[in-house]
Amino acid sequence: MISLETIGIKKCFGGVVAVSNGNLKCQKGKITGLLGANGSGKTTISKIISGVYNADAGEIIFNGKSIKYKNPNEARKAGIAMAFQNLSLVGDLTVWQNIVLGVENKKGLFLNNEISKEKSKAIVDQLLPGLDINKKVYELNSGEMQIVEIAKAILEEPKLLILDEPTAALELAQVKSLFSYMRILAKKGVAMIFTSHRLWEVMEICDDVIIFRNGENVASIDFNKDGKDPKKIVSYITGEAQKLKAEKNHNEITEETVLSIKGLNYGKFLKDITFKLKKGEILGIGGLTGQGQLELMLALAGNYPDVRCDAEINGKKIKLNKPANAISNGILLVPGDKQREGLFLSHSVFTNIIFPKLGLKYQPLFIPYKKYRKECEQVVDALSIKTSSMDTPVSSLSGGNQQKVIVGKWLSFDTNVLLLADPAKGVDVGAKIELYQHIINQVKEKKMSVILYASDNEELIEYCDRLMIMYEGQIVATLEGDDINDDTIIATSMRIR
Amino acid sequence: MNKSSKAVSDSAFHKFIYKPEFSTLIILIVMLIITAILQKNFFETKSIVRNINAFTPLILLTMGQAVVIISGGLDLSAGTTLSLLTCVLTFVMKKGEPVTGFYAIIIAFAVAVLVGVINGIGIGYLRVPPLIATFATSFIWLGAALFLRPTPGGESVEWFKMFYNIDGVKNAPQFLKTFGTIVPPGLILVILGCVFWFVISKTKTGRYIYAVGSNNDSAYVSGINTAKIQMTACIINSLFVFLAALFFVGQNQSGDARMGGPLILKAIAATVVGGIALTGGKGSVYFALVGALILSFVSKIIFFSNVPNAYQTLVSGLIVIIAIAGTQVYAPYNKRAMINERQII
Amino acid sequence: MNRVIISQNNIAYRIYDRYKKLIIALLLIIFLFVFGEVTVSNFLSLGQILLTVKLASFIALFGLCQMIVIASGGSGLDLSVGYTATMTAVFTASIMNGENGNLWMAVLIAISLGITVGLVNGLLTSYVKLPPLVVTLAMANILQGVIDVYTAGRNITGRPSPILRIIAAKSTGIFPNILFILIIVATIVMIILYKTKWGAVLFGVGANETTAYLSGINVKLVRCTAFIITGVLASLMGLLLIGNMGIAFKDMGSNYVMPSIAAAVVGGVPLMGGGGNYIGVILGAIFLQTLTNLLVALGWGDAGKWLGFGILLFILLIVYVRNRRSI
Repeated sequence: MISLETIGIKKCFGGVVAVSNGNLKCQKGKITGLLGANGSGKTTISKIISGVYNADAGEIIFNGKSIKYKNPNEARKAGIAMAFQNLSLVGDLTVWQNIVLGVENKKGLFLNNEISKEKSKAIVDQLLPGLDINKKVYELNSGEMQIVEIAKAILEEPKLLILDEPTAALELAQVKSLFSYMRILAKKGVAMIFTSHRLWEVMEICDDVIIFRNGENVASIDFNKDGKDPKKIVSYITGEAQKLKAEKNHNEITEETVLSIKGLNYGKFLKDITFKLKKGEILGIGGLTGQGQLELMLALAGNYPDVRCDAEINGKKIKLNKPANAISNGILLVPGDKQREGLFLSHSVFTNIIFPKLGLKYQPLFIPYKKYRKECEQVVDALSIKTSSMDTPVSSLSGGNQQKVIVGKWLSFDTNVLLLADPAKGVDVGAKIELYQHIINQVKEKKMSVILYASDNEELIEYCDRLMIMYEGQIVATLEGDDINDDTIIATSMRIR
Repeated sequence: MNKSSKAVSDSAFHKFIYKPEFSTLIILIVMLIITAILQKNFFETKSIVRNINAFTPLILLTMGQAVVIISGGLDLSAGTTLSLLTCVLTFVMKKGEPVTGFYAIIIAFAVAVLVGVINGIGIGYLRVPPLIATFATSFIWLGAALFLRPTPGGESVEWFKMFYNIDGVKNAPQFLKTFGTIVPPGLILVILGCVFWFVISKTKTGRYIYAVGSNNDSAYVSGINTAKIQMTACIINSLFVFLAALFFVGQNQSGDARMGGPLILKAIAATVVGGIALTGGKGSVYFALVGALILSFVSKIIFFSNVPNAYQTLVSGLIVIIAIAGTQVYAPYNKRAMINERQII
Repeated sequence: MNRVIISQNNIAYRIYDRYKKLIIALLLIIFLFVFGEVTVSNFLSLGQILLTVKLASFIALFGLCQMIVIASGGSGLDLSVGYTATMTAVFTASIMNGENGNLWMAVLIAISLGITVGLVNGLLTSYVKLPPLVVTLAMANILQGVIDVYTAGRNITGRPSPILRIIAAKSTGIFPNILFILIIVATIVMIILYKTKWGAVLFGVGANETTAYLSGINVKLVRCTAFIITGVLASLMGLLLIGNMGIAFKDMGSNYVMPSIAAAVVGGVPLMGGGGNYIGVILGAIFLQTLTNLLVALGWGDAGKWLGFGILLFILLIVYVRNRRSI
């Protein structure tokens, strides 16, 4: 039974066409996957369905009736709820206040907080038992926030539930737990639309999948009828036959130590970290999320003025108390939250790429435009950054290309150690492979060493020579060679072995 | 599992120490003690009453401003709104006709709501940055005020004085007069304001004001009519200003188009001293009241410590900076900045 | 990746888009003048235009102070520029005493005062992390207090040096000299902002302080420096103010504060920082001054003048400075 159908949806923002011909269908009690590259229109059409945007043209039919919601509230009242990728939570309110936000229980004119708290606790207990609903949301970590976002969407028992990348910040165990909950909802007849960049998740939980590219639906695959072929799916997403994996790093790893860290301590986040990075190797950092991996990357990049450690680069002692120090010693960071930490969204591609050069000592006062423009062109070429010109604002680039810009910033530097903090996070399948390919090419060419943190174990397995597992701010295991596999990673991450 | 998310110890008391409200309380107590030492008759009823009356306008203005700031806005026009309302009141009232007092109140109330609506449309619906929007509207209110009252003056009725000093009302019953000497009208107005806010804070609107101020986009996407909430906050603010206007006219029986200007800046400083975050979404209106008290005590301290006239502005400015630094210094311990990416202006 | 195509790729659209705000500002100014000419004769006279430009130049120069601080981000704003200028004017009046001889000393004092004020503002906002709105507000109060103390019981004596009078008040031929100053300053500013690394770093810090920090920039230092530069500029403006008025008096500069912010906003400087074009600020200043002159010329008196100013500014802001939702 069809729950919702969209026909010929069109949506433009200014001069940019986000959705050109949006057609999708989803059924009661079934989970429909929505796949596509960043910028393919899948998030936009989700937001149109949930009432956040108004379509410029086209029709939406929900439970047999043609609908047009003016705002998210109307959609919510009709039974359509959405858990947002960029979280619709209010940091200064508590967990329960967020869950009931917009649909608070009332006693006459006044808020009835007891009932609200009860309802919230009931849902939270099913998704993440033990979470204190009286905590303010800004105190939670990203996984907990994601769960609260999902709880908020399912509170009013919607008939259609849209989950926009709900697993991005979740642990494997939490993902599985969410999936079981989704199956329960499906049994109750709820229709669900589920987006994720992790193919295995989509193949596991979805009944069928709709693939968007360039603003329109290019394929619908029913897993029960047509089977599951990851290669085909990826090819629909990117529009071309695509390798599934980038070439592994066949670099010669020398015995030379390029970076030596001893006894790195930082507050409650990092305890006694000690390791050596060999020249030419890709050293991974893994483990459950939130165990200090991002903090370690930031610490190595010199972000924390009060970090304590003994650090040596190529045998020379250095201090990691400010980014400028790290940079001048060739330790360069590609940060985790690309939009918040890696880019000047309103500025051009050119400005973004050459900006770090401005911070170096002994740079000329007048920006040598000709020289920098040439270097910028080389970077754009080397990484195949798709942009109409070097002067377009970086905000109009797709996620994958934005990430390339960030990596590109450091290409013309003398890099000793490239720190990659989850470079492919939020980047879709096709772009992810391309990104890694480019990175690996550069690494080989320039003989760099890499420390890679990835929240997706697949990436760690695929690209790392050695893998350090972190737990509660410490390194608890270092895996090599054949030991780098799913089982061992999970086991050591959870301290089972 | 994920312990690394907490930077500060867990106990509630420990958390409170790092909040701006804690510093606000400490500063209040210090100021109170100093004032009590310097003003010899501090604890006499007469001077308490006089103090409360002196503090009332700033307290009311500050509380209203706090509401707007929490909702994510700012109202620079509150000062000229106050002037406008005093001019409206003294324009409508005719001396010797007590009933015009009632008309004046109704009309001034309507004007106050109108001011809130216009500010609210600019900030909430049209999304003009509040600092500049209310800067513009402040001139509109100033112009309107000058139109009604080119020079200070106007008329007031006898019973209107009750908003300031019941004793001064000629034909008031004796029990009311005695009541007024113990419980000054200024205090009643402030309590009225507090009750008003208390009621609102227990409704959806109250919570939404915080939500919208904390993260406008999240609030919108959760189905909240963010524009309407911001407008409501502006209206609440002008109603507080309305109360302050009643007090002023009760005190001076005249309207002045230019009296409100200096007060607005003090009110904003008072909200910051009271722990309100200029970015919105956080803070307590009652603590903003405390902030206003602190600044008022500062004026008293300067007055009574025989600081030469010329130095008074200087010293008060310095103390304001110290007070603000005192309440804001712990801001870095807060992780709220992570999801709240907003600008105050 | 196959990103959606921008539908308007021709060059005319791109020029329009980039300079949209400047073009609108220019059109509005022209509109005001035409309107003025129609309703009040002689409004569009050369004399009027030059007078407008002269007065607007002062606002534009204060607007430069604001632009630097606003562009550096972090809700940057400087409400103390008015009293900084006033303080310098008051302090240097008796030193100059109507002679050119001590002008160099006056300039030195101005620069030192500016550095001091800017440094305090900068330290409190960047290092102690207090909100700039309130810090500079309190600073304005403190400066007012300092002036009160200094002028207590004495009249402010002293005239500006004749050189200052020539620069600020007089004209060469038909052109007010201050206009030349503005042009020189504007040229220098544009070069620094758009051709040097200082400008790029300033805008970077304003656009995203985390990215700038991770790129090795000392964000706090940049912001503090922005306040210091603004302080010095505002202080030097004090010299120009006294040059223009011939004497120094207590509230000389305070009427320039809000217009300086309005000029920046109208001129397209985003209040969040990270961008802005000084030409826009200049146009914004001219617009505001034209508006004020128009209202005065219409003979509306005090009430009408403010009413008109407020309403027109409000309408302009609605048309021009709206924030779009970021979801």
